[in-house]
Amino acid sequence: MAEFTLPKNSKVTKGKHHPAPQGARKIKTFKVYRYDPEIDANPRWDTYDVDVGACGPMVLDAILHIKNTVDPTLAIRRSCREGVCGSCSINLGGRNTLACTHAWSDVPGNQITISPLPHMPVIKDLVADLSLFFAQYESIEPWLHTDTPEPQKEWVQTPEDRGLVDGLYECILCACCSTACPSYWWNQEKYLGPAALLQAYRWLADSRDEARGERLDYLEDPFKLYRCHTIMNCAQVCPKGLNPAKAIASIKAMLVDRVV
Amino acid sequence: MSQLRADAAGPGAVRARPMSPFLGVWRWHVTMAASICTRVSGGALYVGLLIVVGLALSLAAGPDAYNRYAGLLGSPLGLLILFGITVANFYHLAAGVRHLAFDSGKGFLPTTANITAWLCFAFAIVASVTVFAIGLMLRA
Repeated sequence: MAEFTLPKNSKVTKGKHHPAPQGARKIKTFKVYRYDPEIDANPRWDTYDVDVGACGPMVLDAILHIKNTVDPTLAIRRSCREGVCGSCSINLGGRNTLACTHAWSDVPGNQITISPLPHMPVIKDLVADLSLFFAQYESIEPWLHTDTPEPQKEWVQTPEDRGLVDGLYECILCACCSTACPSYWWNQEKYLGPAALLQAYRWLADSRDEARGERLDYLEDPFKLYRCHTIMNCAQVCPKGLNPAKAIASIKAMLVDRVV
Repeated sequence: MSQLRADAAGPGAVRARPMSPFLGVWRWHVTMAASICTRVSGGALYVGLLIVVGLALSLAAGPDAYNRYAGLLGSPLGLLILFGITVANFYHLAAGVRHLAFDSGKGFLPTTANITAWLCFAFAIVASVTVFAIGLMLRA
């Protein structure tokens, strides 16, 4: 049975308020989820009045501004700061996105809520544990499977066949889609989730791959694939504009095709 | 996989990892509302089916029982419940057609999915009001 509220140890309490520094020009309030594993206390919402006139345009800039000038203990994953590495995925104002490519001025309301990716175990502050997510990605064997002897130079592909993996290969595994999915919230130990399934389809659609049958066998399962109920949260939040829901439907169509 | 959860405290941690907020923080898209409504309306249709079965049973039990049952359904509360079931019925019908399109690989663009979700809600309301208007006019 799906649970709709947070367990007791996860209820978020009211935290500290950090007022803006003297002489701040333009203030926005950031409500940030904080959890310190070294303190025996529930997570809390800290609020920071940030002088956004003094920091860059993106939400990541504001978070780093808080970290650098107010509270150095704030933890977040980030690397490339340009939407390529997929590290800084967070829940921002109720929707999952990348902190580095989302401008704080684009978030409606004067208070911006920032929490870790939803329904995941939290390691610290905005850092969620993605071990299961990556184990699921590994389980779909995201590499080329072939039986025919390796060609002398390379596996060739027509431009048309190469085009078939457009909209699939661009995934940066930020987990915005999977952790946006209510089916994944409630069945993540059994349902592979949008990201892993998008990648499963990326290899099913690859003209060079020779393991379509085995790949489909692995996915043909009431939970692994068919927990997708086309809720569409995945496609709504993907920061790269990809469409896992459509890829999942394509896998379902492939499974039908091979029996009729 | 569950092993990953079992040793979830992590080095230096004094308690098990908390779960991050989900429904409590999520800002809904209309497509998510459409999905949950498909489920809820499907559940409501089971209740609707029981009402229809009750009608058949009362019919078999003779005119007295039937009149009492029909009177119950015709009372304000009965009509409200029937209206709810009618909305659920039309919504579920529309959502079913929407999912048929999904299953044939169409309508996955978020903007398209948003529009079709709103259309399902609109159809359910308009069709239900129309049916009830016709029904009440015939009764009057």
